[in-house]
Amino acid sequence: MSEQIYHSVKIDETKCIGCVVCMKACPTKAIRIKQRKAVVIGERCIDCGECLRICPYNAITPLTTKSSDINKFKMKVALPSPVIYSQFGPGYMPDEILYALKDLGFDYVYDEALVCEMASIAIQEYLERNPSPRPIISSTCPVVVRLIQRLFPDLVSLIIKMEPPREIAAKNLRKELSREYKIPESDIGIFHITPCAAKMVSINKPETMEKSYLDGAISIKEIYNQVMARLKNREKNFLLHTQSQVSGIGIGWAISGGEIRGIKSDFLVSVSGVYDTIKILNDVESGKIKNIDYLECLICPDGCIGGPLTVENRFLAKSTVLSLIRRFGGKNRIDTNYVKQLYDENFFSFERDIKPKPFPPLDSNKNEAIKKLKKKEKILKTLPGINCGVCGSPDCETFAEDLVRNEQGLTVGRCVFLGESNL
Amino acid sequence: MEQEAILYEEFEIAGGDFVNGGSASCRVKNILKEIGLEPDIIRRVAIASYEAEMNVVMYAKKGIMKLILTPHKVIIKVDDEGPGIPDIELAMQPGYSTATPEMREMGFGAGMGLPNIKKNADIFNINSTVNKGTNLEIIINLNNKDE
Repeated sequence: MSEQIYHSVKIDETKCIGCVVCMKACPTKAIRIKQRKAVVIGERCIDCGECLRICPYNAITPLTTKSSDINKFKMKVALPSPVIYSQFGPGYMPDEILYALKDLGFDYVYDEALVCEMASIAIQEYLERNPSPRPIISSTCPVVVRLIQRLFPDLVSLIIKMEPPREIAAKNLRKELSREYKIPESDIGIFHITPCAAKMVSINKPETMEKSYLDGAISIKEIYNQVMARLKNREKNFLLHTQSQVSGIGIGWAISGGEIRGIKSDFLVSVSGVYDTIKILNDVESGKIKNIDYLECLICPDGCIGGPLTVENRFLAKSTVLSLIRRFGGKNRIDTNYVKQLYDENFFSFERDIKPKPFPPLDSNKNEAIKKLKKKEKILKTLPGINCGVCGSPDCETFAEDLVRNEQGLTVGRCVFLGESNL
Repeated sequence: MEQEAILYEEFEIAGGDFVNGGSASCRVKNILKEIGLEPDIIRRVAIASYEAEMNVVMYAKKGIMKLILTPHKVIIKVDDEGPGIPDIELAMQPGYSTATPEMREMGFGAGMGLPNIKKNADIFNINSTVNKGTNLEIIINLNNKDE
């Protein structure tokens, strides 16, 4: 139980004053206030970033890669999420943005959107070759994967056994660049330019492979100003340096519904936002959702453009993505047969299956857990049900649960309505 | 072999309440998660109890779901006051349904409810009296490796 769990956020104790805002916002009830500081319970956190968005004191910071860290590698490669094309307004084309990004000190930039298109074809292939079970759930959002492992462990087998585009792209790039430039693979540093910190968890502690093909993830926020400055200063004609290879299907992956746009089936559903995702997974678990082939769930509102590390207003970002989709069309840029060949070589497949990692039960002994459950229900009846959070637990029910889990020094007297608050 | 219940909980189900329909089976599911039963057992209980609950919501006036846990099995009993089922054998056939067009519009009434419960249960008992109500008993055996 004391397994070291890596997380993508850090609470700055000098800034945190122990208000209840993040604790109340946390969808998995993973935060407690102890001695006037917010504390994250590792086994419950899914790295959704809700706390990061909402903290009024700026006390929660994402643990992403600093752009100076790229210098550890001889060859520096940027692999931006397609979200990047939505961040600078509709006036700048993907090629210009890629070139401006490269100018920050990368030796190579690669358009992940192309691989997204590839993944759309591969998903289609997967669905055709695996007629059951249903629905198959997307593996793209690392938070959704963690949410399923933790809250819906019985649904783990429904997650598509295919790596998301960022890993597939990095895997391919590392091989190709090493061959083309005749340098060892370990000299190449590949960095995802990310709209969320959760990718750091899937890079540092991958669930489906020994080691991630990515070396880090740099926040879009961190590079935004420098890229914008280069875009505005268009003395250099960026377009002269780039080749147009943009995929309309791939760019769509930046928004909710983008992943299923490239798949041919009438039974596809896309859901975004943490609460709606939890709701639909609940329905899948009850068997309420039938007759659906593929379920795309993205934890951020409207998809990755709603990520906590983006800069542009997400509604404007969405508009930009839609206009890029119109402009570059739904035409396939990738040869379907090539993707099928890669599929047959298991190029997209997980190295190992995702394991369920359920929240710890009330007790590891079943009989003890039942006793604690009854005790919890009894305690809950005595609590006021106001859900104020002043006790340090997010609501009365969770407080009752914390009490029966024997949290150190926790007594029912922590409730301001029942006893004296120690806060 | 009769066994002592180590946990007993009851949940009310209101007939016709499609908004809250599913909440009893959801409570059952969450309780079993807190106790730490195996994920595949929880999934089977979740599906069977959801189907049973929705049958009450769709057809009956009201009903009650009972969760009984013994050292070796999970038992879900659903008793309702409703029209009853005149021909159980027919009702058990996949695809057979008496759902109204309105229910079908909401996505119910595929005629898979009872067959689905049977598929997920180790033992499934059903008794019904026309114009009185229906009693279901769903038994799912635990894997019992902790013994």
